[in-house]
Amino acid sequence: MDPAASRPAVVIDNGSGYTKMGFAGNVEPCFIVPTVVAVNESFLNQSRSSSKANWLSQYNAGVMADLDFFIGEEALARSRSSSTYNLSYPIRHGQVDNWDAMERFWQHCIFNYLRCDPEDHYFLLTESPLTAPESREYTGEIMFETFNVPGLYIAVNSVLALAAGYTTSKCEMTGVVVDVGDGATHVVPVADGYVIGSSIKSIPIAGKDITLFIQRLMRERGENIPPEDSFDVARKVKETYCYTCSDIVKEFNKHDKEPSKYIKHWRGIKPKTGAPYSCDVGYERFLGPEVFFNPEIYSTEFTTPLPAVIDKCIQSAPIDTRRALYKNIVLSGGSTMFKDFHRRLQRDIKKIVDARVLASEARLGGEIKSQPVEVNVVSHPIQRFAVWFGGSVLASTPEFFAACHTKAEYEEYGASICRTNPVFKGMY
Amino acid sequence: MRDKSIIKQVSEPYKRFGYTFDSTTIRLILLRSLDKGVELDYHWVEFDDVRYHIQVSMKNPQHLLVSVSLPTPPPETVFMGGLPFGAIEAIKSAYGVLVQILDPPRDGFNLTLKLNLSKLPPDEEYKQALLVKVASVREVVLGAPLRVILKHLASRTVSSNIDQLVALVHRPKESFFLVPQVDKVTVVFPMRFNDSIDIVLATSFLQEFVEARRTAGLHNAPSCLWSSTPPLELEGAPAEALSANAGFVTFVIFPRHVEGKKLDRTVSSLSTFHAYVSYHVKCSEGFMHTRMRRRVESLIQALGRAKPDMENGKKGVQSRSFKRLSLKDGRTNSN
Repeated sequence: MDPAASRPAVVIDNGSGYTKMGFAGNVEPCFIVPTVVAVNESFLNQSRSSSKANWLSQYNAGVMADLDFFIGEEALARSRSSSTYNLSYPIRHGQVDNWDAMERFWQHCIFNYLRCDPEDHYFLLTESPLTAPESREYTGEIMFETFNVPGLYIAVNSVLALAAGYTTSKCEMTGVVVDVGDGATHVVPVADGYVIGSSIKSIPIAGKDITLFIQRLMRERGENIPPEDSFDVARKVKETYCYTCSDIVKEFNKHDKEPSKYIKHWRGIKPKTGAPYSCDVGYERFLGPEVFFNPEIYSTEFTTPLPAVIDKCIQSAPIDTRRALYKNIVLSGGSTMFKDFHRRLQRDIKKIVDARVLASEARLGGEIKSQPVEVNVVSHPIQRFAVWFGGSVLASTPEFFAACHTKAEYEEYGASICRTNPVFKGMY
Repeated sequence: MRDKSIIKQVSEPYKRFGYTFDSTTIRLILLRSLDKGVELDYHWVEFDDVRYHIQVSMKNPQHLLVSVSLPTPPPETVFMGGLPFGAIEAIKSAYGVLVQILDPPRDGFNLTLKLNLSKLPPDEEYKQALLVKVASVREVVLGAPLRVILKHLASRTVSSNIDQLVALVHRPKESFFLVPQVDKVTVVFPMRFNDSIDIVLATSFLQEFVEARRTAGLHNAPSCLWSSTPPLELEGAPAEALSANAGFVTFVIFPRHVEGKKLDRTVSSLSTFHAYVSYHVKCSEGFMHTRMRRRVESLIQALGRAKPDMENGKKGVQSRSFKRLSLKDGRTNSN
């Protein structure tokens, strides 16, 4: 037997905001770090001089700088303390944008964080349902060529999010995954484990937009936050204080009546001078998440609320799957972690569905009563890394190793094997 | 020859990147379990096939079970009761009352430690240091025999097995060798890699590594040699230990390298040497890929500029770097 198959597979879920990594079979990922690389590019920006010796020294220095990079929290800290490091975010809107940075990111993930030998483990990586096959090939190339992994499986993250519910109740592989990450929001219907590709809806509002919106609100109110820190503060405010309200007008009233109860304070230290400062956190606590339900408060370009998008997505799916889809709407991604987010979503979708049922009944003159449609938004405590957990569950089954693209196949056919899911072998 | 200079440069920041022995994962888990009483059951594997398992149960949140499984030892190494010699003493002296060794260990593991968190010292700094020590359990156990030999060297006490080859396990079914003498210890690493490209890269990396030792700033570093054939010190070692596809690296450790606090560093650098080389081999590969990717992009740019019809206004970068498979191609390929 392949000795690598006896060790747990490595599961890495690269999101636009955070990367979750760990070993299969565990409940929690080992590390959740921001997907960011700090690269020392000071050598590249120097002006080119003509003398050859100088070129050589610059060239060598450039090679040195190649090992000089950090990822995650460490990268953020480095870039703050010195100006020699430039931050680069390898993933944008759920798609890999900068492959050099991505390769370095993986390098550090594997060697410095997980501290494992990539030749010893099968790997499970994730991708968004809209990833182009070309980028899957690139991933395969990096994994097999640079890291010599014995086997690789690239899973669709929404399917994994569904699989995360696998152990908690029954095995239910039909449902709509509402995946709200930091850089991308997708609504993906899945029937019996197969993604219904034509019905995938994505909206241009994601966690990062909420952060930007909060940043804007706080800036407009004139809170005393140093500008270079304001995005970070907004992100932390979002993560710690935001919640979903049931009615925005009532919520405004509540805040106005009892400001002492609802207004929170944020304390920080200015990065340049080291002086402490504090600011108030007010309406943005509920206005942030409200962007999903009333996008017009954030942008004028996109105004369809998330519940309507989900409804449209289900309505465009094959008719025999719709009831099952309404019954199992699964949340995944860090930006669905707002308190009561699932309640609000369920209520709003239910409202849309009930209105439609009523309208159709009225059209039929009340002669035929339709069965009520069950709407269920499922939320679980591990939502933030549901995709990772799903991957961990999947990769700990014995069938997983047989379903991987292996190194031998890669050497035989080349990177094009990664275009198709290995479950359908023989396509390439 | 250009590649060679790359590798040379890669070998330079030796001092910057070194594997430390304390596992970041253990440290994080320990901190997490100190914060709140959570149920934990965590498995993972580190480089060189060292497996860990940590368990905390709700009933007994003060007790943490840490199990470690070591790489399968080759026949020439001395293992007693599933542990390298001197390991039990090393554990006892490192952790004191904090840790209790469970006998027999958990099924499938070589060692199970029971940590009593209530016995942690109240002093925050000391506590952190102790937790780091717990996280480096791998070093304490696997590095124990190495530490014993180097200590003998530091105190210049003649060890019992003088001029005799000592084999210590560092990877599954692989060992490295020590020749302890009164005034020096010779350490020989047979280097093995699986992939053919890795072998080539590692060979030239190691040659440059030896070269880099000769630069001005590193006078005091242990002297270091590379040879493609087994060095004379390995006479009498079993035949399978003498086959190494990336050659043999020899370090000569003198007493000045193991004085006082230097001992810890030397032990940890020596026992992570293979992982260190492997990391740099992978880094060089990654670096070459970056350059290849850039070259492809620039060639595509040149091709894009050479296109006769520029009417649609799309100039410059079009990253069509892939073969576009049509359905028909897909079928013919599968045959």
